[in-house]
Amino acid sequence: MRNETREYKFDWMLWNTFAAASRLKNGTQKEYQAMLKYIPYFKRIMETLLGTGEPGQKFIEICSKYLENLVFAKEKGKKTAITTFCFSPAIFYAMDIIPICLEVLTVMMTFMYKRGTAEFLDYCNEVGSTETSCSSQRGAIGAYLAGIGADIDMFVTDTPGVCDTNANAFSFASAYLNKPFFQLDMPPDLTGERSNEYHREDFKALICFLEGQTGKRLDPERLKENLRELAKQDEIIAELEDLARIVPSPVPVLYNLMVSASKFLFAGMPEGTSLLESMLRIARENAAKNISGLSGGVEKLRAFFCYIDHYAQNMQFWQMLDGNGICYQGNILSHFWSNNAPHVAYYHKEEVAYTIDMTDIDSLIDSLAMINSRMPMIKSIRGPYDAPNMWLEDTLGLAKLYSADLIVYNGTPGCRNTWGMVKLLARDTEKAGYPTYIMYADAFDVRVQSWEATEERFMEFLKVRRLV
Amino acid sequence: MFAAGCDVGSLTSKAVIMKDGKIIESVIIKSKTRPWESADEVMGIALSRAGLTMKDIKSCVGTGYGRDKISFIDEAISEIACHGKGARWLVPSVKTVIDIGGQDCKALRLDDKGNMMKFITNDKCASGTGRFLEVMAKVLNLNLDEMGEMSARSKKPITFASACTVWAQADVIQHLNDKVPIEDIAAGVNNAMASRMATLANNIGLEKDVCMTGGVAKNDGVVNALEKHLGIRIKRIRREDPQIAGAIGAALFAMEKAKGGVL
Amino acid sequence: MIKEFFEASTALNNKYVTQWKKNGKKVVGYTCSYVPDEVFHAAGILPFRIRGFGATDTTIGDTYFGPFICSLPKCMLQLAGEGKFNFLDGAIITPGCDSMRRLDECWRKAGSDVEGVIPSFFFHYGVPHKYADYTIKWLTDETWRLIAAVEKHFKVKITDVDLKKSIKLYNYSRKLLDRFEALRTLDAPPFSGEEALAVILAGTTMPREEYNVLLEQFIAKAEKSPGIKGRVRLMLVGSANDDVGLVRVMEGEKAIVVADNLCFGSRFYSDQVDEEGDPVFELSRRYLGHNDCPRMYGDYRRRLKILAQKVEKAKIDGVIMQNIRFCDLHGSENGLFERDLEAKGIPCMRLEREYGPLVETGRMKMRVDAFIERIKQRRAIA
Repeated sequence: MRNETREYKFDWMLWNTFAAASRLKNGTQKEYQAMLKYIPYFKRIMETLLGTGEPGQKFIEICSKYLENLVFAKEKGKKTAITTFCFSPAIFYAMDIIPICLEVLTVMMTFMYKRGTAEFLDYCNEVGSTETSCSSQRGAIGAYLAGIGADIDMFVTDTPGVCDTNANAFSFASAYLNKPFFQLDMPPDLTGERSNEYHREDFKALICFLEGQTGKRLDPERLKENLRELAKQDEIIAELEDLARIVPSPVPVLYNLMVSASKFLFAGMPEGTSLLESMLRIARENAAKNISGLSGGVEKLRAFFCYIDHYAQNMQFWQMLDGNGICYQGNILSHFWSNNAPHVAYYHKEEVAYTIDMTDIDSLIDSLAMINSRMPMIKSIRGPYDAPNMWLEDTLGLAKLYSADLIVYNGTPGCRNTWGMVKLLARDTEKAGYPTYIMYADAFDVRVQSWEATEERFMEFLKVRRLV
Repeated sequence: MFAAGCDVGSLTSKAVIMKDGKIIESVIIKSKTRPWESADEVMGIALSRAGLTMKDIKSCVGTGYGRDKISFIDEAISEIACHGKGARWLVPSVKTVIDIGGQDCKALRLDDKGNMMKFITNDKCASGTGRFLEVMAKVLNLNLDEMGEMSARSKKPITFASACTVWAQADVIQHLNDKVPIEDIAAGVNNAMASRMATLANNIGLEKDVCMTGGVAKNDGVVNALEKHLGIRIKRIRREDPQIAGAIGAALFAMEKAKGGVL
Repeated sequence: MIKEFFEASTALNNKYVTQWKKNGKKVVGYTCSYVPDEVFHAAGILPFRIRGFGATDTTIGDTYFGPFICSLPKCMLQLAGEGKFNFLDGAIITPGCDSMRRLDECWRKAGSDVEGVIPSFFFHYGVPHKYADYTIKWLTDETWRLIAAVEKHFKVKITDVDLKKSIKLYNYSRKLLDRFEALRTLDAPPFSGEEALAVILAGTTMPREEYNVLLEQFIAKAEKSPGIKGRVRLMLVGSANDDVGLVRVMEGEKAIVVADNLCFGSRFYSDQVDEEGDPVFELSRRYLGHNDCPRMYGDYRRRLKILAQKVEKAKIDGVIMQNIRFCDLHGSENGLFERDLEAKGIPCMRLEREYGPLVETGRMKMRVDAFIERIKQRRAIA
């Protein structure tokens, strides 16, 4: 790691960047244009985000707030928990613990830094992690292992049974830093009394652990407050998803990312709701005028990504989609399984979704356990991919609901889980009539395959399959 | 008393003859297909130049990948130990040795007595080895020495998008097509190489003095880039050609054996 | 007699299996040491550990698995696809790790493409990743589910009495293997690491009664042996290895592997099943509780302690920590072990390798040789 990198706490740097970015539009347009000259490396990403209007502005603000929370957690006497994107932070907020989501931090740096998180990725290898471990955790955890981030109190994950490389990264890091660790373990089945009971007992054990770490009991009233807000967020997301079914889709390409961000960063907190409301306003307006959410106005293709996005610098992935008239119908990260989601109603069974029941503390805990066990990936990549309620069913249902013209897989070479059977998935989705493209890139590390090569191959696929 | 060391590598083979602790002859040749042929040839040339025969050599140690196949040696010792030994003789203050050879690279730490403490070698990948440089030099139509000189002139080294030798080749061609100055590409190659090596070296921790052995140690471009990545000065080996460090170490082990020491 | 063990451990459809099948009996394969053998033994079925040893390429494996996957399940699928596992009447897949877990659907897909390569009984046995009262309960229920499925498919009845008998028999094996392990800690161990692996592998391929007899004879002979002296004592740690050739490369002429924490190693036999109490519950408790596998996340400190104890007990000079490429679980934990054991003054060496046909032995040997030289240098000073 270069000496310069070690001089500041990386999350403090990130916070400052986003905080400054959130103030960019406070002045006049002329002042804004003048400022862009001073941020040659961030210019494009700022333009991309702020080009979406109010949602982009709010997105930057919530990123800033999230980072501010974690940077000042210790000063405010709060505990910090390193966690993963597929772990709903609702329980942390209810217990006044500040969540630090590794993958989100990795995404932020991959977007914004010229060399992405290369130094932190490599640092993990230097201290003993395998270089084949998933880059999504390694990108941020490297900084924490090097001691150039906020103080960490504990590690909490829910990926055992779903994603080894993720669970392993948490296990490794907590052992390396000698910090307490808790795992929510996922059984291969999603539904059924046995699984429900397992999820319930496990979540109770989690609460015991968190109470032990904080010295405070879980306050049911706080939890209810959080879940009420979460229910509100789910209503908004359900409507956005419904709107996305319209042809042309009135939902702009960047919204999927922002939907994911609002849930991963601020599930059950007003910050997340505010961003969602802003997006819904614009989507409704577009729908009323029957216009496409794409900036070019013409929808040429509808793509469903069955796994994750690509986080190349300056959000080039979204720019590629938008620039080519490809409507982005979301991915595994941007669709949730609340019982009011349209895909649940149309193509999936009720029991796969979660409901929020606030009758008593037991039902509250049950609801949380359900919410967590239905988080993206936790829900669908646990059992065999073709088992009921698993990845194949989800992918086909969503692709159908959103009238996708093609299905695309993008992930990372660290993803043992999906690379173990993505060829099988693609066979099945092709059979179902969806041209399916498997990308060999690393969403968080362009050293594996450059963005230029990735884009070229993607466009080549579209040409070869006569989609454009 | 004459002692000899023979280091048979994938790209080059080296022989060193020592008399009473001083080097009297050293030879580097391009390796042949079979390691025993390389060993016979390189040692043959060294002996001939020194006016000696194998009978005059009291003890001979072999090292390198082909070491077990050499007929005239008394013992085979790993090249890691030999590079460490040789590096300590060349730079008495050395504690960390970085060796970038033809097909692998390694880093090792020595204690005060010059014994191996820790070592690490690269795994299964050409990036970060001499092979990577060779491939890139070919694409740039330069020889390896030229690449080092060129890169020193670069004002704006390119950053390679890929860590992989195969993909990086494609990148280089792309840059050439885009008329990027060759010195910038050469500098980018050196940086990519150094970055890969630095991760490996940092794994075992660095302690001063740090020196480099192996053929790539003669490439100023890589050495400078590595210094930048590691944030520590690399002491240049001036006493002899760093590429023969392994053979020197083997000869030193041979000397100890001849004096009755247990290896 | 060691020949018996070597033969049993290297031939896929060995003479024990052939005889078993000739007698009209059934064989069920399993991929992971978390599967309770006793359940099958109690049903009169031969439990057979599925391995990838013997695969010479992975063309079939690569057809179904993606590229960034460890070669262990690929080799297993390769053999299956070539029909080499056609003697199996059943197969049990577990979420040992993500790569192994996906053997489930990959094998099923291969089975629908090529007739006859998938056994008619195919079961996904869900093993938790941690040890707690509710996870033991889960595994107990899961084992009941397995028992019910075996009973239905193979038209047998597995009673508590049968299970207890089987547990007793397997516990006796474990006692024998404890003695076997103790012999390796002697100053002059009576057999090499290569031989030790052959003994353990054989146990996964033959009827337990016959294995116990061979084991008794082997141990009796070994106890009288003068032993192997003067070698550097190594402990082998990390990813699964079922190739005696790999251990041979590491031992060479200068070293001997006298301890391990491997899946085909101490994990095979450590800890008894409690013979009082409900047999299904006790099986679940032992299998979930004892295994030194990094898939049990968050348990590093306990595993480190066990390794340190083994180092002391077996008077280890150095630890070789190997992992199969793409095995992040072992690979990363080896990084932690190296840090902490080196801090205690125990020389360690990490090595990444491929699983499958034994290639690049030169590269491996070079590293092991250097490691042994390092240990010897250290000894010379001490």
